[in-house]
Amino acid sequence: MAEATSVPKPGMTAVPVPLPVPETAENLRPTRAPRPPRPNYRHIHRFPLPVNVHHVPSVIPHNPLSLISVALSYLTFLISPPHQETYTAYFDSATSSVHVTDEKTIRALWEMGFFGKGSLSRSEPNWLEQEKKRRGLMGGNTVEEATRKRRAERRQLKLERARHERLAVEERLKAEAAARETGSVDGLSVDGAAEAATISVEKFSVKKAMEAKYHERRQQAIQNKNTAGSTDPSPTIDGSSGQLSPVVEKKDVVAASTIATQALDEELNLDTLENKEHLQLSTEETFFLVYALGALQVVDRHNNVAIPTSSLFSLLRHHSYYPPRPDSSQLEVDDPFMISYVVYHHFRSLGWVVRSGVKFGTDYLLYNRGPVFSHAEFAVIIIPSYSDPYWSQTQERKEYAANKQARSWWWLHCVNRVQAQVKKSLVVCYVDVPAPVQTSADIGAEIGHYRVREFLLRRWVPNRTRD
Amino acid sequence: MADADEDAVRGTTVEATQIETDLSDETQDFRLLNHLNFLTDTSSSGLPRRGEKDFEPNPTEFQADVLSASRQAMHNALAHPRLHNPKNQVIAIYAPEGPPPPPAVTPGQDTGKPVARGASVSPDACVYVPTPKGQHFKSMGQADRKGVIWLLPEEALYLLERGSLDIRWPTSITGGIGEEGCEEELSIPMSLQAAYACLIGRGGLTLERFTVYSSLKRIGYAISRAPGWNDSAKAEDEDRPDAYTQPLKRGAGLAGILGSIFNWINDPKSTSSTAAGPVIGYGIHRSYADIYKKLALIPWYDPTLAPQRDPLNTTAPYRVILHVYKPNTSIKKSALPPPDFRIAVISTREATTIPTLPQLSALLESTPLDPPQGEKMERNMYMRLRHGYRNVILAVVDQGVTSFLRIADVAFGKERLYEGVNGPTGPKKGGNFKKKKKR
Repeated sequence: MAEATSVPKPGMTAVPVPLPVPETAENLRPTRAPRPPRPNYRHIHRFPLPVNVHHVPSVIPHNPLSLISVALSYLTFLISPPHQETYTAYFDSATSSVHVTDEKTIRALWEMGFFGKGSLSRSEPNWLEQEKKRRGLMGGNTVEEATRKRRAERRQLKLERARHERLAVEERLKAEAAARETGSVDGLSVDGAAEAATISVEKFSVKKAMEAKYHERRQQAIQNKNTAGSTDPSPTIDGSSGQLSPVVEKKDVVAASTIATQALDEELNLDTLENKEHLQLSTEETFFLVYALGALQVVDRHNNVAIPTSSLFSLLRHHSYYPPRPDSSQLEVDDPFMISYVVYHHFRSLGWVVRSGVKFGTDYLLYNRGPVFSHAEFAVIIIPSYSDPYWSQTQERKEYAANKQARSWWWLHCVNRVQAQVKKSLVVCYVDVPAPVQTSADIGAEIGHYRVREFLLRRWVPNRTRD
Repeated sequence: MADADEDAVRGTTVEATQIETDLSDETQDFRLLNHLNFLTDTSSSGLPRRGEKDFEPNPTEFQADVLSASRQAMHNALAHPRLHNPKNQVIAIYAPEGPPPPPAVTPGQDTGKPVARGASVSPDACVYVPTPKGQHFKSMGQADRKGVIWLLPEEALYLLERGSLDIRWPTSITGGIGEEGCEEELSIPMSLQAAYACLIGRGGLTLERFTVYSSLKRIGYAISRAPGWNDSAKAEDEDRPDAYTQPLKRGAGLAGILGSIFNWINDPKSTSSTAAGPVIGYGIHRSYADIYKKLALIPWYDPTLAPQRDPLNTTAPYRVILHVYKPNTSIKKSALPPPDFRIAVISTREATTIPTLPQLSALLESTPLDPPQGEKMERNMYMRLRHGYRNVILAVVDQGVTSFLRIADVAFGKERLYEGVNGPTGPKKGGNFKKKKKR
């Protein structure tokens, strides 16, 4: 991405064209009319951080003109530096969290670096879109809807499986009773009858059924494409639901009609639909955006005054405890915020998209480029380490340190098994806590005293490595 | 060679299938045993098939039949007579004193005398086999000058348990007639219980270590003791360099001056400050790679900078005590090749918490550098990260239940993701049936 953009052609007056400043989603996304199969994520998320980058034309040694173009580009920036947007968020001390309510900012922070989480959505702040779709104001499906649908389908199939199994058992009982009645007392014929029953009743597999459904739907989609325009799609849909049980079909029809009437109702008050969602930033994300990138300023909710970086630092550290410690209290060298921020900053500075791992019982998940592009491959757990000689000087400190870094084996196995189940690699990240120093104003120096070391942990199954 | 194969297997198939088919975790259907050839000796070839599982009891006779058939199969298997051909019987004799020292020294001590013992008999060995025969002695035991093979306690116990060795009490204890040559006939066989009582606890052999040893041995690995077996063995503290990286500082000289000039042009008010932020400043950024480079403030551990530590310069239980070789590694007892796996054994009842950084760090540094290599690794960043630069296996034994954990030293800092060679390019491909849910 870095240098690929502009190699000026010789002869042309190559005035550097700064890349388009990322703007709101409305501009980037194509209009919904033909409904593209998937948004162009590569375009939407082409900026890895909410910071503008202006490429310099590269110097070509045998072409002196290229030097001029480079100089020109520097000159333009010197004369009229491009504007770098600073976004605003506010800190809410009651909940110790940071909120963004401005829609443009929400989109920007999500699209450039996947910061924050929608307060009413699973991850991406798309509540408004979901709501519109729900009310039938917009075509297409949201991720949440797809998941819901899939789960409902699966539940239905499981119920069906249970029914099948019950039937099989009943049938077998009948067969056994019949075999007993025919008078043959010896177990052989009972076995024979049972054997016959096994063959007739095949086990019902949810997985197979889901697969069948999936293929069916694909076939249908292909058919729809072929017959598009000529016929209404509704008959095909009816055809598919024909093999469901009549009860389900009836329910569907009822649901469809209620949705239709709802949509009609809603159409009347179109304008009343306002976005009730805000973006919530974790404290680490906030501080990274403020301190590392300078792309965000945090405002106190009460007096609307921007909080300077240094006081934000201590504020977040105080608020990393529950209940939050008073502002006057001493900052600890191993504040939870310090330790998690160090890890957050470390992985962010290497280019990973770091998001909370609370879904899988870990501290962080590491995404390559972002959650829309790939599943997280790594799940990180953070363990503080007190290997500095300071922490073993007195008995008291030793006990304190031992207590802080103690984790049980059962906990570790637990986390490890969960990660194996979701096919992630577990990274155990130790953060070496330095000896306490006089708090200085230099945040960089303070953070630089912490050291990070990662271990990768996974189960070893001796049966599989024998070769 | 072996490493390359191992990596190939580990990287791809092992991980993918690890969850679905761990046979050891499943409940067993013992009807399988009926299909084993030695029981039925019918000419049915091919692997026995697993049946469907029932998850709850139902009143059918069929289910009851299946259950009783399974139970019967297990009983059949257990009732099958096990024969020991007297020709294959190997007799060993327990020597509580350890290998006999050279004639000049009085017997009774078993420490610190392997020097005179000629080559290779460990002082911990306490069972000897006068006439060794069979497969097992290819990878077990150490021969002394007379050709008598001496077994370590775990080796003797393992062989006894599997029925391949008959250990006898020495006549010195049982008080038989000390006639030369016919000691074997006169002595009394040692029971399994007695063997456990005598051998566990000898020469550092704990029950946990034996559990790990025998379970690996049983599935075909060859195992030897590592130098760290003896807990008290110590090495002198070395002076160790700091293997953590330091954040980049701009150098002096022409490059430095030029750099600062460009810096000034990009950021004339020099708003970039690590002290009060923003770290990257409000100026003009030329590329994201530059931004990421500026953000690198946190020192991280670079495993390639750390020299190898003496394996003895670690503290028990976080030290390598077993060297494990894959079944098809050819080993010569006199010159052991570098092991395929290094194992540390931990009892969760003694070390109740997971290791601290210094413990784990010392343990990993005591293993040789094993950087990710090979074509596959070069292509796949995830594979490189998963392989790591050093690795060790922890056998965590909790009251007889062993879990093996492979711990590798990864350096995320060595993979600059932001340079963007390895990133996924398109949106992720879904489909509920191809992948398990992961997100």
